[in-house]
Amino acid sequence: MDEIDDRDEEEFGFSRNYFLAKELGGSGKKSTNKLSDIGLVDEQELRAAMANSEPKHEKEVSALMESYKSLYPQWVFELRCGFALLMYGFGSKKALLEDFASIALTEYSVIVINGYLQSINIKQVVVAMAEVLWDQLKSSGKTTSASLGKVQQPFSSRSMDDLLSFLNGSRKHENDFDICLVIHNIDGPGLRDSETQQYLAQIASCSHIRIVASVDHVNAPLLWDKKMVHTQFNWYWNHVPTFAPYTVEGVFFPLILSHGSASQSAKTATIILQSLTPNAQSVFKILAEYLLSHPDEEGMPIDSLYSISRERFIVSSQVTLNSHLTEFKDHELVKTRRNSDGQDCLYIPLAIEALAKTISEISQ
Amino acid sequence: MASSATVADSPAPPNPDNIQPFFVIHKAFSRKSKKKSPRAGKAKRKIDLSPLVSKNAKKADEESVEECDSMRMEYFGIVWSKIETTIKNVLRDMNINVFSDIHHWVRESFNTIRSSGPPSLTEATCSFPFVKDTTLKKLFTGLVLTKNMEFVDDLLTFEDLGLHLKSHGCHVANLSSLDFLAKNGIGGCLRSLLRQFLMVSLDAADISILASWYREHDKYNNPVVIIIDDMERCCGSILSDFILMLSEWAIKIPVILIMGISTMLDAPSNALTSNALQHLFPCKFILGTPAERMDAVVAAVLVGQPSTFSISHKVAAFMRNYFVSQDGTLTSFVRALKIACVQHFYVEPLSFVLRGFLLQEDCQCLYDAAKYGNIRLLDILCEALNPELYNSRGTDAQAESEKDSGRSPSNGCFMDRQYPSSRKDGFINKVVRIVKDLPRSQLYNLLKSWEERTADIIEIHEDVKELLFTLKSEEHKRQKQRSTSVSKRHISRAQLNMERDSQVTNEKAATLIDRMIRDYMHPLECVPFHEIICFKNVDKLQLALVGDPRRRIQVDLLESHKILQCNCCNRKGSTLLPSMHDTSIMYNLAQEHGDLINLLDWYQSFKSVVLCPGVKRKRKSKQKCKDMNEPQKQSEILNLVYNRARYCRAVTELQITGLLRMPSKRRPDFAQRVAFGL
Repeated sequence: MDEIDDRDEEEFGFSRNYFLAKELGGSGKKSTNKLSDIGLVDEQELRAAMANSEPKHEKEVSALMESYKSLYPQWVFELRCGFALLMYGFGSKKALLEDFASIALTEYSVIVINGYLQSINIKQVVVAMAEVLWDQLKSSGKTTSASLGKVQQPFSSRSMDDLLSFLNGSRKHENDFDICLVIHNIDGPGLRDSETQQYLAQIASCSHIRIVASVDHVNAPLLWDKKMVHTQFNWYWNHVPTFAPYTVEGVFFPLILSHGSASQSAKTATIILQSLTPNAQSVFKILAEYLLSHPDEEGMPIDSLYSISRERFIVSSQVTLNSHLTEFKDHELVKTRRNSDGQDCLYIPLAIEALAKTISEISQ
Repeated sequence: MASSATVADSPAPPNPDNIQPFFVIHKAFSRKSKKKSPRAGKAKRKIDLSPLVSKNAKKADEESVEECDSMRMEYFGIVWSKIETTIKNVLRDMNINVFSDIHHWVRESFNTIRSSGPPSLTEATCSFPFVKDTTLKKLFTGLVLTKNMEFVDDLLTFEDLGLHLKSHGCHVANLSSLDFLAKNGIGGCLRSLLRQFLMVSLDAADISILASWYREHDKYNNPVVIIIDDMERCCGSILSDFILMLSEWAIKIPVILIMGISTMLDAPSNALTSNALQHLFPCKFILGTPAERMDAVVAAVLVGQPSTFSISHKVAAFMRNYFVSQDGTLTSFVRALKIACVQHFYVEPLSFVLRGFLLQEDCQCLYDAAKYGNIRLLDILCEALNPELYNSRGTDAQAESEKDSGRSPSNGCFMDRQYPSSRKDGFINKVVRIVKDLPRSQLYNLLKSWEERTADIIEIHEDVKELLFTLKSEEHKRQKQRSTSVSKRHISRAQLNMERDSQVTNEKAATLIDRMIRDYMHPLECVPFHEIICFKNVDKLQLALVGDPRRRIQVDLLESHKILQCNCCNRKGSTLLPSMHDTSIMYNLAQEHGDLINLLDWYQSFKSVVLCPGVKRKRKSKQKCKDMNEPQKQSEILNLVYNRARYCRAVTELQITGLLRMPSKRRPDFAQRVAFGL
């Protein structure tokens, strides 16, 4: 009975914490202080200060890293037993994983994916792995005539299924592997979508491949279903807090105490635009090009937007144009204001450089 | 090798490797020691023991480490592959009856399709679907009810089913829900089919290619079987289209569909269109439940065979509760077992030397009896492995001490609720009671199975035989009396006597099993040197299996000084020290806020912690602000930027860990906390 009570207590504790926190937030004590009160600093200046700041506990952090070295043989053993290693705990694990790979995994080829980057083409990674594996098999004389026949077609033009089945070829020693794929931040922005995760899971289950990955997000396990966790990735969790600064991982996050950076709002605009139809995008482009070429004007009159769009066969009637404009306005991509002649005109609430960036990105 | 993709809009970090999406660290170097056999390693070591050894001491050390590594790997391989094969065989054996039923049905269905005779050459090679009769557009469909929401456990089952049918000559393709995605359309599953049958991947997938493939190469005498393991997760409309297409081609390609269903048999009617449903001609098959499979696996791996690897009571209890209340899949149970095995071999690489000594037969005897009362083998095993219960046998006074025996602070959540606190209300005792109340015929069967199992233990075997003999002679007597006795009163008295007799036999059987438990069933942990083969470290197992980043990352931050083991941050009570890790200070401060954190307040409190010792000095300097000279002002500004940079970095790091959500447009000055409590 005591155990039941304890566990219930724990569960209640959790919900109680939540509601207490809610209450604290909702009560009259809510602070009204504004960030703008303290005057924001330039982002570049902040980043420079960050780079120059003296790290705390440098000695302890490097001792901690050093202490993990004794675990390397165990990690190799875990890999060779068929598991994939998943490293978690606070602090950047980039240096740790790369150190592990270059010291303990010399017998294997090692490819690193920087998952903290914004976009990663998983197909290119698979092609690279296939090329490395091909070189390796060729040099060890393990290639069979069947696979030789296939290789006439370059890896980059093969389908993903073909590549994966090449990586999943039969091996003499069932438990061993040839290539280790090190993935920094498998929960990072470039890898977070479910399609990529499915591919990674398929890669993980290939016989020639083992994965060593790191996660930083507390909810990272939600990325995978049970099939992926148990049969494909086959994770072996390792708790390795390093307390090393997230220097490269943090580069892509906007700084809270700096002026609203162009990159962020441009990014949001790009995402919204990409979800719209090509015609809507073209209308937006016409408007943006006008605004970029007339930086001094208040905006673009609606009728000139209509006439240009019509000339280019993008809209057929005012109604179509209006429906596009409504969509833009709903997403706060476009706003209206009066110019000096009292005419309604359209403008985009983005800085010039952000606007240019957005246009170049959706034109790709 | 690396791709040309670049990352824009940020100051580039110095190392180019950091901004490439991927790169190759190194290619494989020589594989000098990997495939070396342990024996070869030993020989080398002997040579190294020559007088020259002192010179090469380091080298010898390295070699012995390598030797140890390869031995460990080899023995782990031997032990685990044995366990793995056992598990696979057990699961296959469990399903073998269903598999042969399915095969029988496949053949029958095929014959029905073929009964109209094979299509003529022109019919079979024409490029459009050919159907003489609309009634022949039926698609024979086997619905395999898995009785298990966790389809991951059935992946292997369907793979095995495919192999089984293949071994009987069928052409089999295994599809999964990933082949039936809405975005790939019907092309996705067709491509996968062609890939599996024709071993080629084609961009323009067309069912007619499959038809001509089937026509060629003498495939005509065997059916094409398509297995979809998780029908409920497929996109309904794509699957419907697929079924319609197959039914159109039913004569040219005699396809038989097998679909795995986890919930209800009417699942297809929910997922498919009525048009597609009309074409199905279903037949149902039922697989064993997860609990049955679990018992079979436990019986085979942990109880049945003398193993060189075993688990302690706490590990067994953890695995059982993880199965019962957390994950619920056999796959994860097997995975836990493998992790335990890896960890054990890493620490005790020589455990293979010993042959297992286990509580096998007795536990099996118990399980034979437990089957009559629906008690799971895993429960019995957990109890049988409990050394503390064993020590308290006979005296239940220690019940109190048992209560907290299975609980350690970190694995508390996996420890069980209904776990018996003393032997009196334990599963084993329940089994003994079941034996006492068992009807005559069942008791006879039970004793028969005991007779087989105890063949090696002579004294018990004799007792079992004796009991069987009594039972038989009683039965004999009963039949005799039934035929001879006339008067009603006599019959009833005789029956009373018989019942009393059989009660005595039941008692005897119960006493026997009790004795077996007492004399022979010693928990492994009560045997000397059990550490060599018995894996005990439940915390380590749990860490490797479950991870729990949500809790651990928070603990890292809240108790950073414990992990960093520094002298400077040994705080007393709840005061935050300026020497602590910035993010750790910030997260500790965040605990004082509600679900929304005012960013400015947070910044101010961070600043006050960081500048703690210099607070007074700072106030003074504020007063004298006007009197400050230029360099002082400059350094003041620098300090300000520096503190803000640290604050920003901490916020970013909390964002990376997902413990903080950034301000929204609606609330630009507030960040949102995500985790409440560990």
